[in-house]
Amino acid sequence: MTSRWLAWAALLIGGLSAVAGSPYLAARGQVDVEALAATAARGEDRVGAVELATWIHDREPGLRVIDVRSREAYDADRIPGAEHVPLGAIGRTRFTHDQPIVVYADDGTEAAEAWVLLRAAGLRRVFFLRGGLAAWLDEVLEPTLAADADAEARAAFARVAGLSRYFGGRPRGGASAGTDAGTGGPSGADTADRLAHLKRRGC
Amino acid sequence: MTDSVVLAFGIGLAFGWALERAGLGSARKLVGQFYLTDFTVFKVMFSAIVTAMLGVFWLGRLGVVDVAAIYVPETYVLPQLAGGALFGVGFVVAGLCPGTSCVAAATGRGDGLATVIGLLGGVLAAGAAFPAMAAFYESSARGTWQWPQALGLPYGVVVFLVVLMALGGFRLVERLERRAS
Repeated sequence: MTSRWLAWAALLIGGLSAVAGSPYLAARGQVDVEALAATAARGEDRVGAVELATWIHDREPGLRVIDVRSREAYDADRIPGAEHVPLGAIGRTRFTHDQPIVVYADDGTEAAEAWVLLRAAGLRRVFFLRGGLAAWLDEVLEPTLAADADAEARAAFARVAGLSRYFGGRPRGGASAGTDAGTGGPSGADTADRLAHLKRRGC
Repeated sequence: MTDSVVLAFGIGLAFGWALERAGLGSARKLVGQFYLTDFTVFKVMFSAIVTAMLGVFWLGRLGVVDVAAIYVPETYVLPQLAGGALFGVGFVVAGLCPGTSCVAAATGRGDGLATVIGLLGGVLAAGAAFPAMAAFYESSARGTWQWPQALGLPYGVVVFLVVLMALGGFRLVERLERRAS
């Protein structure tokens, strides 16, 4: 008998849910232009390609990487694990308030627009990828060590080279010059070709 | 962080206690659903899903809880389908799932302990093999993909459909149980 009453209660509450509207809180307040401008001026609105690679490699909790380019561009080349959310759909996509979100495009323009929209939606940990996908290809997949690099630069390069190999890149310079194909990356495609392809698209 | 761990520990204990009280520490009871004779697992789990779902929906609707702040795991369609299938095979073979195996082990059942050891071994093996399967693991990423997005329906309508599905499921499995007994 109790279970019958519980079933009716669930049915009633469920039926009311169907006409109750959205459970999400309405968009809060207005855009705080001053705060956004200060964040941008401090450079806290962006993240570098190597830092993003570190976050992905270290499995930063809740990290979401958002590609705001066209579907064709996303299908052709993307950062591993990135989701495709075109700029027009960014307002309909659900994000949680404290998760880090990195948006990127071919260059900075669309990503910066997405950054503003997401910050206006009340999200706090939003960044755009400085230099876009080109920076990812250049700095993560094909980092280069200058011939006259000092010990500090070589140490930094060794760390980036490890990341590069993780993502299937080919670090150039030092002991690993031109020899590393890497594992676990998105493809074995030649980075230079991918970069050239990206540049042909107008980046 | 420490608060979260303490809270998670408390919730875990409560969850384990509820599983044990529902009789889900026994593999015999769990495999009953595969023989269509005992659907306690189905009823307990679906009741919990409906209760939590209605609670979250209405707490959000009334402004008590910020639903957007609740962490939703990301969807990777193919790897999660493969993982689900592997999980199902393990469930049938062991007669226990991860939560119930811990409950069974805690109550001194040997099969529960064996399943927990196998589970931890599987976690270690999967971690060691991760570099080889990383590309597959990250394939077909859909982000935080939820039913309202997938079906193109309002959140509340999906809630109602899940309630209907649960009630229909309860009615069906009770008929099956009566037929089996």
